[in-house]
Amino acid sequence: MSNKIGTKNIWKSIKEYQEDPEVLEAKLHEFKQGVTDDFDPDQQSTFSRRKFLAVLAASTAYAATACTNYRDKGEIVPYVKRPEEILPGKPTYYASTFAEDGLSYGVLVKTREGRPIKVEGNPDDPINKGKIPSRVHASILNLYDPDRLQSPTISKVKSSWKIVNEEIASKLAEANSANKEIAVFTNHITSPTTAKVLDEFKLKFPSVKIYTTHLANDNNRVSAWKKCYNQNILPSIKWNKAKIIVALESDFLGKEGNTVENRANYALGRDIVYTKELSKLYSVEGAMSLTGMNSDIRLRLNPQLQFEFVLSLANQLMQLGAFGASELSDNVISLIRKNSLNNFAEKSGLQIEKLKLIAKDLAENKSNSILVAGDALNEKVHIFVNLLNDLLGNNSLYNYDHGFLIDSEISTPQELKSFVAKCNDGKIAAVINLDANPVYELPTSLGLSDALSKVETIISLSEAPNETTNLSKYILPLHNYLEAWGDHKTRNGLLTLQQPVISPLFDTKQKEEILLSWINTEPVDYHKYLMENFKTEVFDTNNSIADFNTYWLTSLHDGIVTTSKNSITENKFDQSIVKDFTTSLDGFTVLVQNNYSFGTGKYANNGWLQELPHPVTKVAWDNFAAVAQRTAEKLNIVNDDLIEISVNGKSIKLPTMIQPGMAEDTIAIELGYGRKNSGEVANEVGFNVNELLNENSLSQFIFGGATITKTGEVYKLASTQEHHSLDEEFVKDFHRIREIIQEGTLEEYKKNPSFLKEHKHEIFSITEPHKYPNEKWAMSIDLNKCLGCSECISACNVENNVPVVGKDQVARGREMQWIRIDRYYSGTPEEPIVSAQPMLCQHCDNAPCENVCPVNATNHSPDGLNQMAYNRCVGTRYCSNNCPYKVRRFNFYNFRDNFADSHYQNELTDLVNNPEVTVRSRGVIEKCSFCIQNIMEVRENAIRENRPINPNEVKTACQSACPTQAIEFGDSNNKNSYVTKNREHELSYHVLEELNVRPNVTYLAKIRNTDSEDI
Amino acid sequence: MKKSFLDYTLKVRLPITLFVALLAFMITFYVSRPERDGIGYQPDQPIAYSHKLHAGQMKIDCQYCHTGVTKGRHALVPSANICMNCHSMARKKQPEIIKLTKYYEENTPIPWKRIHKIPEYAYFNHSVHVNKGIKCETCHGNIADMEKVSQMKGWTMTACLDCHREPQQFLPYLENVKMVQQTVQLVIDKR
Repeated sequence: MSNKIGTKNIWKSIKEYQEDPEVLEAKLHEFKQGVTDDFDPDQQSTFSRRKFLAVLAASTAYAATACTNYRDKGEIVPYVKRPEEILPGKPTYYASTFAEDGLSYGVLVKTREGRPIKVEGNPDDPINKGKIPSRVHASILNLYDPDRLQSPTISKVKSSWKIVNEEIASKLAEANSANKEIAVFTNHITSPTTAKVLDEFKLKFPSVKIYTTHLANDNNRVSAWKKCYNQNILPSIKWNKAKIIVALESDFLGKEGNTVENRANYALGRDIVYTKELSKLYSVEGAMSLTGMNSDIRLRLNPQLQFEFVLSLANQLMQLGAFGASELSDNVISLIRKNSLNNFAEKSGLQIEKLKLIAKDLAENKSNSILVAGDALNEKVHIFVNLLNDLLGNNSLYNYDHGFLIDSEISTPQELKSFVAKCNDGKIAAVINLDANPVYELPTSLGLSDALSKVETIISLSEAPNETTNLSKYILPLHNYLEAWGDHKTRNGLLTLQQPVISPLFDTKQKEEILLSWINTEPVDYHKYLMENFKTEVFDTNNSIADFNTYWLTSLHDGIVTTSKNSITENKFDQSIVKDFTTSLDGFTVLVQNNYSFGTGKYANNGWLQELPHPVTKVAWDNFAAVAQRTAEKLNIVNDDLIEISVNGKSIKLPTMIQPGMAEDTIAIELGYGRKNSGEVANEVGFNVNELLNENSLSQFIFGGATITKTGEVYKLASTQEHHSLDEEFVKDFHRIREIIQEGTLEEYKKNPSFLKEHKHEIFSITEPHKYPNEKWAMSIDLNKCLGCSECISACNVENNVPVVGKDQVARGREMQWIRIDRYYSGTPEEPIVSAQPMLCQHCDNAPCENVCPVNATNHSPDGLNQMAYNRCVGTRYCSNNCPYKVRRFNFYNFRDNFADSHYQNELTDLVNNPEVTVRSRGVIEKCSFCIQNIMEVRENAIRENRPINPNEVKTACQSACPTQAIEFGDSNNKNSYVTKNREHELSYHVLEELNVRPNVTYLAKIRNTDSEDI
Repeated sequence: MKKSFLDYTLKVRLPITLFVALLAFMITFYVSRPERDGIGYQPDQPIAYSHKLHAGQMKIDCQYCHTGVTKGRHALVPSANICMNCHSMARKKQPEIIKLTKYYEENTPIPWKRIHKIPEYAYFNHSVHVNKGIKCETCHGNIADMEKVSQMKGWTMTACLDCHREPQQFLPYLENVKMVQQTVQLVIDKR
């Protein structure tokens, strides 16, 4: 194995693969070139060190003589009446809900002395089981965002709620009496009570028309499902039960559907460490996605060819006898007969062996496999994939328990077009944006912003400024979700409740309350309204023995209530709806996708999310056009070249990113960037792709026949990949064996389970090992389950007060995140094999950093932690230089002050900081602390309760956030901890073991299910 | 030549040496005074509360008011509602109680002056110590004897290490005290 890995040429970027001298040179240096440029001694002040010391001494002496005996120590101000549940110094948790784009996540909000500091998953949530996506972790920053709207305004002049509400009520009454349309724009309404308020609003103002918008929607999937089965419930998929998963341009692990649920269930099927079972994931895709990155076998296919692919796959399956022709209707048979796998292989250039393997695996694992089509694919592809799943008996993997409710539909292009026409004709009296941003979310070519300029009364209800509020006359600020009441119903039979955890920070209101105050003349308390609705809708139907008050408070405490389920009608698949679908392969294919960190752009004004590196390309703060190496050569473009992409007469400019594994002549672009008037962080970050979208079809995300021209301009992307390079040059001199990534295949593992442990030498030390009399903290990361999704980074940022540094600093390699996910490629740029590995401080027993610190700022604790005393650190950076893993981060600036003119350093944003973790200042080194604050909390509890610490009791932030439970943390001195079990497992290894630094982070080698002994 | 050398010694060297010696003495003296560590700090409080009366004469347990001491890091200065448990009835006419009632009724928190403070980078936890059976008096002095509270001990690292070096000397009854000592010894060894 080790020899194989040694010869396997692992590379981290295209440039490295081509042995670009610049990259090879860069790898020899500790920091990327330019990192220390600001510190040219010639540019520093001429004020000499001696003079400085003299002044310092003089002023100290002066201060010493001037001050009094006792320094003032300030005051302690206790509560007047301390709330029973609040104990200063201890966190209090409240259950609530985060909802976005038709999905909801049960959360627990951690508050300290009444101020929310962290959002965690609610373990009682039966769907998400205590896990939440990165944008929910980071959403705490939105509450303390200095860009939030703070008071109601009329024509950008500050006003009061009374005046605004009166003016709007009279405008609405006027519109109503004139019978002119009042247009209400909203996103998916998932709250039954909000829907009820809207119904009341419609009753009061009959001319109201509601438009629902959703950028990057899953309309193709939903409408296909409705056509196939005529059901209003979309089942989730039992990924854990599937032996074979075939993802067709689908990134179900990255950005489609409820990714948290998908990842957790998928990982259950990949738990080779304990179950010895491994599902097999095929990915057939054009863009390199997180799912493709994790697949066992990946095929590159232009997304336009997906329909032909599924047809020829069906043909092959029929030949293999997976289903008979008698099960099919004539139109389906004729479609299938037209395509064969051999012809398809010839046309697409894919290896026929691999294609046949997919068919064979599917035929052999009937009712234990699943095909899943991506959101971007046409409805007709979805319909055919549904049919195939039916024929193969895979519908047994559909999980109807708490399926997705898919009642609400987005507005059709015709509706929106007629709205624009009505605007232009002056037939619209008022436009109300109910927490929606239609100007950004709808295709630019619809001409909405021009049309809205003809409407006089535009009312925007929004939490933060955006493109639409900028055009509005009345801007009404809304509560953040942590300040508001609510209920959400996104899954069948489940209702999640949302409660405020802090009183409003600004002069804001709840959106439902505003609507209700327009309906009734006197103000309505939405809390009471919600309770009443809950009483009639839930309490009265649930036949609880408790009285209402108890029931309500219990439900609020749990955050989640099971309700009566909508019944599901089992309808048979009507094969006549399968239609042919032709595409042309002229020109380039453009694939437009959602982005990983902040989805459709609503949360773009969040520095933590902007700085989260893209899980595949590691680019932060930008979107880009991902192209294949060969396509780039054909177009004569290199990385960072600005290219112009034109489709159907629309064009946008984007920087190039050469992405290994892209299908040729395919360009993948992400949405959500290029915001305008949306706050300091989001403004002008990246490029607006919505200009490319089709106003005639809101769910078209694949565009054929595109042309690409090189503009000659250059736009620098900032990526976290090239720097922090592990010193691989060194390896070449030592038999090219470094074993940072160790992998094997299922066959190999079955044949010889301890294949990793062969050719291992015992490493011994000449010094005595450290003694750890009590606990010894350690971590294990199962690379079979780690998907590289980066949610750990987001949780770590919030827990440990990691600052946002900005694009210019990321480009210099100064990002401060304590975890980075290293992504390695092996193989060729066309067919790369991707490995992801979270890299954080390894808390080595023989830590090289500790020996070189001149001031003992970094030292070893008796429980095995490599700890930092920030106050001692003088910033020599010797430790970083000596760290073989390159996980130490240096504060080149006080980054809070440095980022965007102190945007995140103000009284308000300071509240986001975790009070248990020191806020680091300029000139000190920092790194992962294994969440020592959590260890200390557990230790405190154990001492108080006079019991030993449970070896699995401490949870680090990354561990609690990991959707797949890849990370375990605990006491490695205790035989009963998961960490000890993982450390002793045959697949365990340490990175750079031969240095004998004895790291305390154990990795479990990834096993690939590739059907052969080679990777 | 000689004269000038003597001159130089007397006029320049001697005064400088004397000045440096004096300055060193002054600084050392100044810095090493117990007041520098806060010992004896006795600020005026917004309400003249007497620990001698409440804890000494009436023998009210410390934890009746300092409710957090066994539960968490902070001992907690009591919120006004704890005072009002008794003083809504007791001694209502006393001038200090009138002040207290006014704070309570106006819903204004009482700005007590802080007496005991450790540096912000040190994480001290009350509950861990108190639950191990360490008496409040060990660090805070005999509060029950104080009309007006003042700091009795220095709050430097030495104060912590005085106990933590040899914990079994102070807490012989603790089971795992040896473990604590081992741990501390490890830390000291590494220095």
